[in-house]
Amino acid sequence: MKTRLLFSFACALLSTSLRAEPATAAPDGNTVYRTWADAQGRKLEATFRGIESGQIFLQVRNGYVYRIPLDKLSPADQEAAKTLKPEGLGIPADPNLAQAAAQIDMLVNAGLAKAGQKPNPLASDEQFVRRVYLDIAGRIPTREEALEFINDTSLSKRAKVIDRLLASDGYNSHLFNYFADMMRVADVAQKARFYTYQDWLKGQIADNVSWDKIVYSMMTADGRLLDNGATGYLLRDAGMRLDNLSLTLSTFLGANVSCAQCHDHPFADWTQRQFYEMASFFGATETFGTRGSKGYGMQNMRKVLASLDDRRLQQQAKNLLRVNAMAVDDGEENDLKLPDDYKYPDGKPGDLVKPKLVTWSDTKNTKAYQNVETKKEEDLRAQFAKWMTSPDNPRFAMTIANRLWKRAFGLGVREPVTDLDDVDAAVNPALLRHLGAEMVRLKFDLKQFMRVLYNTQTYQREATSHEMADSGPYLFPGPVLRRMSAEQAWDSCATLVVGSDVDKFKAHRGATYSKVMSIDLSSDASPDAVKAQIENAVAAMRQYGGANGGNPKNNAKKKRMMARQAAAADGDDSIEVAPPVRDGLVLARASELPQPEKDQHFLRMFGQSDRQIADSSSDEGSIPQVLMLMNGEAQKVIGQNDSLVIQTASAQKTPEQQVESLYLSFFSRKPKPDELADAVAALGNGITSRDLSWVLFNTREFVFVE
Amino acid sequence: MNSSLSPSPLALCDVSRRSFCEKWAKASLGVTVLHGLGGKVLAETGGPGFGKAKNVIFLQMIGGMSHIDTLDPKEGPTQGPKTPISTKAGFQLGGTMENLAKHADKVSIIRSMTSKTGVHASGQYLIRTGYEQRGTIQHPNIGAWAQHFKGNSHKTLPSSVCVNRQPNAGNGFFPASFSPLPILDPDAGLQYAQSDASPDVMQKRLAMLDKLDAGFRERFQTASVKSYTQFYEKTVAIMSSTDLEAFQLSDEPAALREKYGQNKFGQGCLLARRLVEKGIRYIEVAKGGWDMHNNIEEGLEEHGAELDVALSALLDDLKERGLLETTLVVLCSEFGRGPKINGNAGRDHHPKVFSTLLAGGGIKGGFIYGASDKEGMAVADKQTSPQDFLSTIGWSLGLPVDEVVMSPSNRPFTVGDKGKPVMELFA
Repeated sequence: MKTRLLFSFACALLSTSLRAEPATAAPDGNTVYRTWADAQGRKLEATFRGIESGQIFLQVRNGYVYRIPLDKLSPADQEAAKTLKPEGLGIPADPNLAQAAAQIDMLVNAGLAKAGQKPNPLASDEQFVRRVYLDIAGRIPTREEALEFINDTSLSKRAKVIDRLLASDGYNSHLFNYFADMMRVADVAQKARFYTYQDWLKGQIADNVSWDKIVYSMMTADGRLLDNGATGYLLRDAGMRLDNLSLTLSTFLGANVSCAQCHDHPFADWTQRQFYEMASFFGATETFGTRGSKGYGMQNMRKVLASLDDRRLQQQAKNLLRVNAMAVDDGEENDLKLPDDYKYPDGKPGDLVKPKLVTWSDTKNTKAYQNVETKKEEDLRAQFAKWMTSPDNPRFAMTIANRLWKRAFGLGVREPVTDLDDVDAAVNPALLRHLGAEMVRLKFDLKQFMRVLYNTQTYQREATSHEMADSGPYLFPGPVLRRMSAEQAWDSCATLVVGSDVDKFKAHRGATYSKVMSIDLSSDASPDAVKAQIENAVAAMRQYGGANGGNPKNNAKKKRMMARQAAAADGDDSIEVAPPVRDGLVLARASELPQPEKDQHFLRMFGQSDRQIADSSSDEGSIPQVLMLMNGEAQKVIGQNDSLVIQTASAQKTPEQQVESLYLSFFSRKPKPDELADAVAALGNGITSRDLSWVLFNTREFVFVE
Repeated sequence: MNSSLSPSPLALCDVSRRSFCEKWAKASLGVTVLHGLGGKVLAETGGPGFGKAKNVIFLQMIGGMSHIDTLDPKEGPTQGPKTPISTKAGFQLGGTMENLAKHADKVSIIRSMTSKTGVHASGQYLIRTGYEQRGTIQHPNIGAWAQHFKGNSHKTLPSSVCVNRQPNAGNGFFPASFSPLPILDPDAGLQYAQSDASPDVMQKRLAMLDKLDAGFRERFQTASVKSYTQFYEKTVAIMSSTDLEAFQLSDEPAALREKYGQNKFGQGCLLARRLVEKGIRYIEVAKGGWDMHNNIEEGLEEHGAELDVALSALLDDLKERGLLETTLVVLCSEFGRGPKINGNAGRDHHPKVFSTLLAGGGIKGGFIYGASDKEGMAVADKQTSPQDFLSTIGWSLGLPVDEVVMSPSNRPFTVGDKGKPVMELFA
């Protein structure tokens, strides 16, 4: 190990000495370069990033970070290291990670420099810890979590908290929320419950399955929704394959084709024919009804259904049949035809359309297009999925990379994220291309990709405070000031009341639902056996209520019951504990609550997507929303005596400490002297800590993420 | 992807027109000259129907309402599940519109609407604002335009409300306080209007809030932070309003609530009428469920019937109270649905021709404007754009529809994006 370090030291010396870059071209905005020497007199030009556990961290111009035992340096440099102020804020212990982050910083800084702009100052520990918890784990840190970070004196503490959060349950929950909005994940669609889809998606995220594999699975999934949750993506739009394809292309490939569904795209190059050629890859795929080759024994069930004499039972059994019939199945006939109003000279209405992949004008690398076999109709989807998720696809990696960038920084390098047709129109095309290449290099490991983003100095800068519209394209001097998403706000409320335990509860509704609803329709089942199954299932079904739920209290009860059943079914002890309920609010993470929540729920009032339109969560304010923040259940539950934030504050001895405790809980920072004085004075003047919690909860500072 | 722009005629009109106008405005006139150019003249002279409506109830069907099954029935293979109904006004309505048929004498129908987009989100945006959705700017709905030209319609309550839908930045580039107040559940009304703290404690809390948040507001003077501050100011005003019972449907007689239909849309229409009475100018009521790709018969049984019952009750109720004269009721959707019944017994998106309905506010009764062809496939007569439709609403409200207003980013906009009010619709 030691020799390798010293060896690379020598190499770096060689490579850096060959380059003659001006000192201002530093990789991540650092400007102070110094020539360091080891005991043998070998030299290295690098910025000083700090000392930890007897190791000195030196970063050379290409971003690579050397860790060198301090005692290997020349005595003079050992002395210098003790007095120098480290550049930047901390450093990942992993040199490759540091370099990957620095490469991004270099591209961002180059873009800023070209426009004559400077990056924002580096964010304070307090700003950073609140932001990074919200961005990665989807909730604010508790007072203890914030203090633990702020009081940590180690050099790599930022990298360490990023690692810890990426490995947390909160990460899974928060990423699920993002995809749920992006892919319109809803409990109820097509009059069936999509619980197995949700559980499948959560499982993929928890196992950190790579993005290409997740998407491939969704595109090629087969069988019943009840048995294979991955079918949920296609079945979400059962019978609407054109709409589904339009969303698929814009969501995963940034291809702005939706207009071409009905006519040639008015501004971009897409033609309607191209759209139909792409749709043709799904032309043999059946998502609605039972016309597929396998049929899943529906005929048998229909017969039984017809024989039922109880009309109510018949209606309920009909619903049951519908749920059991939700399936994806490939037939042998591709029936995709040009529409009745097709008006272009290259085809006639009703013409059958042959599958053909689209290319972009900058498609130079055609590897993804090779060996695409379009002869076997039942294989078309797989061919499409292979092309789509290939590392060589011109847009697949770049699209998810741009989306995750937006998630970290508040804006995409190219907006909207559903339109990457013209990469050169991005505010920083080189950065966008690099992010795509990074996604490929990291083999579509989303977590690894995010680790790089969150370790950049660009991410760790202060949020931009000026109005962006005034100053042209946003070149990322730092993250954008964002309002919390509905899910972040809700999960943060729950954190204030119950602390980090909020991450524990997991809803596994899929297994229970599948068990209850699934009818064995194998052809040798007797009609009586099928009938008995239907009756059992209908009885069990009632507990799920109608599509619109019922009253919230019953629902909470129902949910707890289901959670317990699910836990029992899974033999999983860790979720035996149902989430706490206060004033009708089920204090679980948004990802474990109904998708989406009911209209009047905090989540929806705060802008949770209705899951009808992709990427449609909102960060707008409104009067009812502010009324809810001022007078609703959330502020009440947070301010009650059994709430963690109040308990913690009450346990403090002096009013000063109480105020400080509340500030740390809500804002992850201590109050400034004037704030402390004002708050303490108010506590002595008829204001309680409950009132103070109301005040902090209603500040802009609480709902915005610095 | 082909390398040249497609030759479609659709490609030209909108983009080129807009960019032409923008360039023209900048190059030859300058924004100050444009501002107020024609509006004043119009406002002075007016014309038939101008300013007749004090309020607008904007009923937006989400998902693409089949024109053939509702307002523009056809016979033969495109007819759909139900046979058309004849009305005393001499025209027919779709078989689902049993109740509305009795009110045909109160309404005008435009059967020659056409739009360029068959995508839900952009179509909904277009029919609501008259503009195509852009990444760079938000366009206002007509309620926000009206607030801009005519000021607030109520002292403490907002001038615009949207029911069963999110506001989706309906204020556009106007201040956040022009955004419609959303009521997501009409039964629940405006929730949380009462504080659980005493007025004295609330005063103290608000004073502390102002003090402790001052530093943050100072540091981050962004539009989104400012708009939150505006919402807080507006909300505090509302909490002290004496007209909050406008939102309480429980005050309405049970029989009337029943008449509108016990569903979110029916109750939303009733709420709209209540709000009109209280002086709220612009009320949007949305209704989903129209994306009937599969089994349109079942879809119409539920959603068609809900619309039919609620709209009929609304027209009746407004008429009885003498409010129909001054209240414009419009019904629209982002597009229609195709003449062909597809393989799943549904109909697919069809922006090429569709229908809208208008009533009250100076609009003729029992009148059909424009026509689709025999199948309901294309416009046959008097093509009407979403811009024309929205300009008609603006005209009815007495807005200077050709007055150019500059957005804060200094781009020129008009009510209904230079559409032409359909003058024949006005009595």
